[in-house]
Amino acid sequence: MSAATEAPLLSVRGLHKRYGAITALREVNFTVRRGEVTALLGDNGAGKSTTIKAISGAAPADSGEIRLEGAEVHIRHPSDANALGIQTVYQDLALCDNLGICANLYLGRELYAAPTPFGPRVLRDLEMESEARRVLKTLRINLPALDTPVAALSGGQRQAVAIARAVLWGSKLVIMDEPTAALGVAQTAEVLRLVRDLAGQGFGVILITHNMQNVFEVADAIVVLRLGATVFDKRRSECTPEEVVGAITGTQAIPGTAAGVMA
Amino acid sequence: MSTVTTPQSAPNPLPQPAESPFRRWLGGFANATDLGMLPVIVALILIWIVFEAMNTNFITPRNMSNLAGQIVVTGTLAIAEIFVILLGMIDLSIGWNSVVAASVFSMLTVFLGIPVWAALLCGIAAATIIGYLQGLLVSRVGVPSFIVTLGGAMIGEGITLAMLTPHGGSVPLSDNFTTAIGTLNLAPMWGWILSILLFGAYAAVALRQIAHRRAGGGENGFAATMRLIGIGVLLFGTVAMLNAYRGVPFLLVIFLAALFIAAFVTKSTQFGRHLYAVGGNAEAARRSGINVRGIQLAAFVIAGFLVGIAGYLNAARLGVASSAVGNGDLMLNAVAAAVIGGTSLFGGRGSVYGALFGALVIESVSNGMNLLGAASSIRFVVEGGILLAAITIDTILRMRRMRTGRA
Repeated sequence: MSAATEAPLLSVRGLHKRYGAITALREVNFTVRRGEVTALLGDNGAGKSTTIKAISGAAPADSGEIRLEGAEVHIRHPSDANALGIQTVYQDLALCDNLGICANLYLGRELYAAPTPFGPRVLRDLEMESEARRVLKTLRINLPALDTPVAALSGGQRQAVAIARAVLWGSKLVIMDEPTAALGVAQTAEVLRLVRDLAGQGFGVILITHNMQNVFEVADAIVVLRLGATVFDKRRSECTPEEVVGAITGTQAIPGTAAGVMA
Repeated sequence: MSTVTTPQSAPNPLPQPAESPFRRWLGGFANATDLGMLPVIVALILIWIVFEAMNTNFITPRNMSNLAGQIVVTGTLAIAEIFVILLGMIDLSIGWNSVVAASVFSMLTVFLGIPVWAALLCGIAAATIIGYLQGLLVSRVGVPSFIVTLGGAMIGEGITLAMLTPHGGSVPLSDNFTTAIGTLNLAPMWGWILSILLFGAYAAVALRQIAHRRAGGGENGFAATMRLIGIGVLLFGTVAMLNAYRGVPFLLVIFLAALFIAAFVTKSTQFGRHLYAVGGNAEAARRSGINVRGIQLAAFVIAGFLVGIAGYLNAARLGVASSAVGNGDLMLNAVAAAVIGGTSLFGGRGSVYGALFGALVIESVSNGMNLLGAASSIRFVVEGGILLAAITIDTILRMRRMRTGRA
């Protein structure tokens, strides 16, 4: 890719991470641009999760460079990532099923009014609902009444709540770990639409998935990790599914590794 | 919000299917995993019908006034228990802990001549400190609450016996304030004024919410409107009934005040939201930046505080601080009331209003059985059966949630 006039949203260079004797990441490089979906692919154990943990602060890398909007950042803790505008939607979603949609969207940073400096911190439910409704509308998410407990939602709706939560928290970069893994066909389509919309609104999105069809539906850029290193980094328009599968399974020769394992 | 560049023109939400609000509300129960207050209210109505059919003295102003006094201690203890149960924990010390508060109060005011208000504060403080210490063990060290509070109950029993045994096991309370709290009633006019003010304030808040939701989300507010009407009927009916005898007992006023404050704290404050969050999914709460240990500790402290109040109310009602009441079914009745009132022992689900209805069920059975002259053996069996029914419903609902992947 030619030199961009503007620094990319996220640029990762030479990430390296060891767990004891095991080298989880050797040389991970990729960039994420504003308004684009970058698919991060790889076989089990390729280093996808480790990479995500490094960026989200859950488990920082040993060495390597992470730049956000051109400036080098040091993410040592999930709260660092949140403060920088990086939100991760985990596979288990981390929602409180007993609470309503709105309560989950604002969990941990509720809007409140305190009549005295010592409290009580009275929830401003109506304001939270108005703001939540606005965000859901921009994302074209259709959900039942906002005080409906999350327990009553379908898998796709729960995924939508988790994604909307990331947006509501003012993020720039949303990382999604297998968002469609447990969903049916219609729900998968809805979540993919949502992923596309997020990018359309200027967010950078990292999408982790095993589903090649999803990747070619929504991704702008495709990055493949293998044995802890970036082995493939192309625009979607410049590659075919066969090439990508080849990179994932290692049927293509990769310099510096023992190639040829068929998955 | 960050760069929302082109908010795509969102299509208007799909028009709601033409279905009556009532049918939609009813349809919600078919797959419900949280029935709220409905089962306990139905159970209560059935119990009242049965007892009234067996003895027409049951629903009379005089007996209902008795019942109003009887639910106060069980109900206040149940509120305390609900704070802990909402976390998915349990407090088995509330019975003996409440007796500790009453004993401390009696020692200070009867034998040391300390002013009533100061003695009362000390009694409540004693229970609060016990709650705090138990909360520390549970939240910081991670000892199961079941064991911590079992130990706490035994220690509370020991402390009570140490204080009261030298005085024959019970100390009569005869100061004017305590006697007034325990025996007097609001003048009928004040009963009406208070209830009208209360309902007016509640209706104003509820109507504002209904209007707001209807304006913004296409929700019909049917359930909320029905709830508002139901609460109005219940409140004014109760006042009319109690005024037909001697008026609303002070004890009931204190219990209801505690109930409304607890409802406000759990439903309308950030702390309450976090309490439910920790009980529902502690890991999600932690990842959201909620201080899980702090919430757990606070719940035990609040429970201790309420237990102290309940202990005093019990002593005021009986006119005596006695170690014998701790041996009775104080704690078991309170836990039963909480669970019958719809609070899930698995945490995160339920409402403090369940304390009112749960206490009404427990005490109605006890009151009705007494009217019928039934042996307490039968009373225990019936109460135990109701408790088992409540916990079975709770467990079935939880299994239903698990099956649909929502636990």
